[in-house]
Amino acid sequence: MKMLNNSKVRRSLLVAAGCLSLVGAVASRQVFSADMATAAAELPLSVRLSPSQYRQSIIDIFGSSINITGRFEPETRTDGLLAVGANKANVTDIGFERYDDLARGIAAQVVDERHRAALIPCKPKSAATADDACARAFLSAVGRLLYRRPMTENEIAGQVKLAGETAAKTGDFFEGISTSLATMLVSPKFLFRYKTYEPDPAKPGQQRMTAYSKASQLSFLLWNSAPDDRLLQAAAKGELHTKQGLFQQVDRLIYSPRLEAGVRSFFADMLQFSDFETVSKDSAFFPRYTLKVKEESVEQTLRTITDHLITRQGDYRDLFTTPNTFLTRSLAALYKVPLVERTDNGQPQHWQPYSYQPGDPRSGILAQSSFVALHSPGGRSSPTSRGKALRENILCQVVPPPPGNVDFKFIQDTSSPTHKTARQRLTAHATEAMCTGCHKITDPMGLALENFDSSGSFRTAENGADIDTSGDLSGVKFDGPAGLFQALHDSPAVPACVAKRAFAFGAGRLPQTSDAQWTQIEASFKDGKYNFVNLLRQIALSDLFYSMPVQVAAK
Amino acid sequence: MRVTKLLSRGAMMVLPLCLFSAPSFAETRGYVIGWFSTATYNDFQNNCPLDKNGGGLKLRLRNLMEIGYSEKEALEIINGTAVNLSPDINKRINNRAIVNGKPVPVPNYPEAVRDPMIESVTGKYAYGFDLGGKSDQSKFVDPDTNEKIDNQLWRAVGCTESYRATPPEQPYPEELSWATLIDTAPGWAIYLTGENLDKDGPVTVTTDRLLQHLERDANGKVMPFGTYVIDPSPKSHNVFQGEIKDGILTITPSKLYMKAQHPFYLDIALTNAHMRLRHEVDGRLTGYWGGYLDWQRYAYMYTSRPANGADYIGLYHSLRRMADANPDPATGKNRDISGTFRMEALPAYLANIDGKVIAPAFERGTKPEKLASGQ
Amino acid sequence: MNMKTMNRRRVLRGMMGGAAVSVGLPILDCMLNTNGDAFAATGAQLPPRFITWFWGLGLGEQDWRPKTTGANYELPPQLQVLKPLQKKLNLFSGGQVFLDGQANNTHFTGVQGHMTGRVQAAAEYYGSIDTLIGDVIGKGTRFRSLEVACDGDPKACWSARLESGKVSAEVSPLALYGRIFGAEFKDPNAANFIPDPDVMVRKSALSTVTEDRQDLMRDLGAADRAKLDNYFTALRSLEQKLAIQLEKPAPLPSCTVSAKPGDEEKLSTLAVDAMKTHDLFVGLLTHALACDQTRIANLCITQGMSGLRKEGEASNHHTYTHEEPIDPVLGYQPKAAWFQALYMKGLFDFAKALDSIQEGDKTLLDRSILYAFTDHGAPRLHSVLNFPFITLGSGNGRIKVGQHVTTPGDAATRVGFTMMQAMGVPLSAWGYGSNRVTSAITEIMA
Repeated sequence: MKMLNNSKVRRSLLVAAGCLSLVGAVASRQVFSADMATAAAELPLSVRLSPSQYRQSIIDIFGSSINITGRFEPETRTDGLLAVGANKANVTDIGFERYDDLARGIAAQVVDERHRAALIPCKPKSAATADDACARAFLSAVGRLLYRRPMTENEIAGQVKLAGETAAKTGDFFEGISTSLATMLVSPKFLFRYKTYEPDPAKPGQQRMTAYSKASQLSFLLWNSAPDDRLLQAAAKGELHTKQGLFQQVDRLIYSPRLEAGVRSFFADMLQFSDFETVSKDSAFFPRYTLKVKEESVEQTLRTITDHLITRQGDYRDLFTTPNTFLTRSLAALYKVPLVERTDNGQPQHWQPYSYQPGDPRSGILAQSSFVALHSPGGRSSPTSRGKALRENILCQVVPPPPGNVDFKFIQDTSSPTHKTARQRLTAHATEAMCTGCHKITDPMGLALENFDSSGSFRTAENGADIDTSGDLSGVKFDGPAGLFQALHDSPAVPACVAKRAFAFGAGRLPQTSDAQWTQIEASFKDGKYNFVNLLRQIALSDLFYSMPVQVAAK
Repeated sequence: MRVTKLLSRGAMMVLPLCLFSAPSFAETRGYVIGWFSTATYNDFQNNCPLDKNGGGLKLRLRNLMEIGYSEKEALEIINGTAVNLSPDINKRINNRAIVNGKPVPVPNYPEAVRDPMIESVTGKYAYGFDLGGKSDQSKFVDPDTNEKIDNQLWRAVGCTESYRATPPEQPYPEELSWATLIDTAPGWAIYLTGENLDKDGPVTVTTDRLLQHLERDANGKVMPFGTYVIDPSPKSHNVFQGEIKDGILTITPSKLYMKAQHPFYLDIALTNAHMRLRHEVDGRLTGYWGGYLDWQRYAYMYTSRPANGADYIGLYHSLRRMADANPDPATGKNRDISGTFRMEALPAYLANIDGKVIAPAFERGTKPEKLASGQ
Repeated sequence: MNMKTMNRRRVLRGMMGGAAVSVGLPILDCMLNTNGDAFAATGAQLPPRFITWFWGLGLGEQDWRPKTTGANYELPPQLQVLKPLQKKLNLFSGGQVFLDGQANNTHFTGVQGHMTGRVQAAAEYYGSIDTLIGDVIGKGTRFRSLEVACDGDPKACWSARLESGKVSAEVSPLALYGRIFGAEFKDPNAANFIPDPDVMVRKSALSTVTEDRQDLMRDLGAADRAKLDNYFTALRSLEQKLAIQLEKPAPLPSCTVSAKPGDEEKLSTLAVDAMKTHDLFVGLLTHALACDQTRIANLCITQGMSGLRKEGEASNHHTYTHEEPIDPVLGYQPKAAWFQALYMKGLFDFAKALDSIQEGDKTLLDRSILYAFTDHGAPRLHSVLNFPFITLGSGNGRIKVGQHVTTPGDAATRVGFTMMQAMGVPLSAWGYGSNRVTSAITEIMA
């Protein structure tokens, strides 16, 4: 497996090295006019790579056998996505040291004896001295993949020089390569994606995104990773500026197995899965919620999503009602469903497909622990948190935060003899006038999920009292989780929300929904039976996706 | 399916069952056994007034004196020893049994060394069942049922220090083995079938061995609601006719065989097997299994693993002396001993080897499936 | 030195008669005064240390796990002795070693699991976390690591290299003194300074990134320029740290030669005697760490199956864990608890000795992680569940301190993995089978 990866990488590096001469050193630095540069102050055009993009890029370029010791700077969420928050992300002192640690760790592995034969496309004349030709072949090929554009001759010469000098000082060719590679891995050219624009020859007076920026925008949308060699080639040849050329590349990326990594990253971002780092449950109340189960619950949802959207090419809205999912035996125990595994004793548990009976309240991704447990405190469920998450993550609505001086005494007392269920506690709490307004937004949805306790296990009673799961969503009344999920399925706001988020995941900003192009993308999503892969295709093919942000362009 | 399965078994097992006509059962509840051990009744002062047996230290002292040291010398050796006695002394202790004129390992030939006559239980109470034992003197009183019962196993082992355990503690040698084996050895299942298991009436009790070991939860205890596949081998498949009366489930006495795994019991093989079980409000099934068992197979748990803090020679001889059933026709010596085990079972889904769930995990409250169909 | 001729009384005499009686080390104030500022500004130049400390047979059954997590939790009775250092201490509970079908070889499998990440057939023991950490932080010191055992058993220790397996431990304080402070000892404060060539290479490599600055800045808008400014400020900060490492380092203010222990007596099985040996080792190791002779040390009180006794009692600690009934009121085995308390006092003394040494703006303890671990969760059962781990010190600020973290049902390997991540071991996952972990304990990662 590792060999396969390495040899794949090696091929791609060799190819990349080979075509370098073709491309020449056309590093398309952007060409802002002076007043454009001022305008750009409104919205940064550099985006810091997310931890997952960093990892995925390294894996795609060097193979999965490279260990990436993972500590990155924290991310922030804007407009519902970390991918949008990344626009504003900086590099701090500590952050730089972490990038430096990562870079040296990765570079040392790339040149170690286990990897060098597969990853370095040439053998040095001597392992103890500099070899500029070999260094150039490797560094220029890798640099093109890391910087997501061909390196300039100046850049190449600088890196080769550094490799040579270091080799001379240390008496080790590979130390030279490793040192030079490490500096490329901490360079802003790798850590930041720069979106660059140039005058559009077809539309005089207007700007268009440069071909290499387009290539990055495309591959980070669909693969959550850097462009591969073929995409960079297409950019070099100007093919991404033609309809047919773009179409071919979009098609290729979509039919690649790497699409799954892109789709997973998008939904992990949209569903806030990075917040699981800090989720823990009181094991006295939720003994089946082990850390293993927590990790598996995220995997369950991502598997359900990729299976439904990519393998089955299903309707996005059906994600909320689909009875089909995947389970391990530990997860099945959490959900209290049988999952038979006829393996011998002592074997690890395996993932298995599982389908609920029609109408089972546990159908759909929002019934899964990855949603209901993420949006619950450690010791009790929270209809308000869940309702808020539904509004914000699934419907793209904004729920105002609670005022600072709220008295939570009713909510937190789960041992109250009079307020046994969450509904009773919330009702007591929401009679306080200042709270009523907001809770009307969140609670009628969240209360329908009260069949799921804080860990995601199913229940029909709380503290001995029957749970009432009636609720409503924008006037549609229902009883229980299945009703809520059907109401979400039928709500036009749900597909509209995912379309906006998918666009923003790739573009780093929300679409201008009044734009005619956007209306067309939405219409095509609907006409295509809400096929999510098709939505990605429409976004990737649209001019809107590559257009200069209006704030900037308007100036 | 079930009939064929039963017929494929030995006639001994099948015949008694054929006498019953199968009722049309409406409910099955599946469990895995999460906890199993010799039933203790921890009242040391009344049980063992002589306090004679001591623990591993006294055993070491006795052993050293057996090979010729004075008490003073033996104590000096013990005080100067960190963990293990010197290999030489250990060898002398271990090989002090003489068979056919040659020294042989004591654990293999416990009969060849002197019975140290360890103290046995003289208290009034112990858990168990009336197995029909004739000697009124050897009867205990069961603290739950107030009936006179047979449990010579407890009499034999109950004064050993490591058996001073109050549930949920188990006797040390068994708890250690059980705790170790949970993660590795196939588990045991029990399932009940009846018209309405919350009411009095006839019940079928089935026990089986599983193909998989049990899973643990976030507290390190056995996780309820897991799914396990039943071993298709008929060896540990037992079916009993039972009855719930006043909430207590008992069975018509029969034979029971459950394969286990060393260093725990080799197996639990009972004749005249009795059970007394009940549903706890939290969904567990708890209670006792008792009957006659081969005392030598039980003793093997100690002699096969002599480093368990148990006086394996003392226990061996004590069990031999207390054996109260199944005399050998040739020697007249009893081969079986009356005994009782305590167990706790947790709800679990049980499937057969074809992948079909034959016993769902039981949970109080509305099942989601029912809720769904009601909408 | 002929070990057979030594006796304990002479060891103690040696200590008492020697120059330094106390284990705490004198701090050379003049050095601190001259260099205090430099230390404060460049704390990173003083290295982190990693010290493991092993005691056998756990803490108690289930009772020791504090009821609350995070900061300000109530230390369990067994750990009360550590209370003065609670703010510098982390307690980990709940983690287990998964057997994955292997038998639990008591006193071995648990440690094998959480120290090497892999449960396998008996005697296979390679690649303990201290050696993996040593490969990262311990380069260039005189000793790759130092191992000591207090019960006289050189096999008691749990340090093992990936390629060659278990390292045998020093059992004689006098012999350890000879190794560290004998003829080969070079006073770091007097030594000629040779700049580290690796650091020189790193620094000049980073300068090539800076050379790109103008080129990068040229076409950017104000917001992007601001971001890039931040980036280069961060880069410069690292360059400065490297530059300081290329200068002759400030002297190690706390490095002094330890007092020489006397000869020693034959081994005794009394726990208090083992702890006296422990204290002598603590003194020597503390000096060795302060003089940067090693950055990795491993101390074991006994082998897992502890044969130590209390004076006047014939049964040993190990026997008590098996045979002593659990006191229903206390919830633990009181006689076994006597040993646990004695060991924990030793841990406190070690931490206190490290904490009494000021190194610039931090103490030696602050620069270290003292990692205390044991072979079993519940002692009576010799279980591999609910392992207690105690860490003291923040490893130069690499981990947060003062926390209780409980992870019931989780792999105990996560604790060791977290230490490795904190110390910069380049692993994104560690362990095999169910013991494999891919993420550190976020609660304590700085």
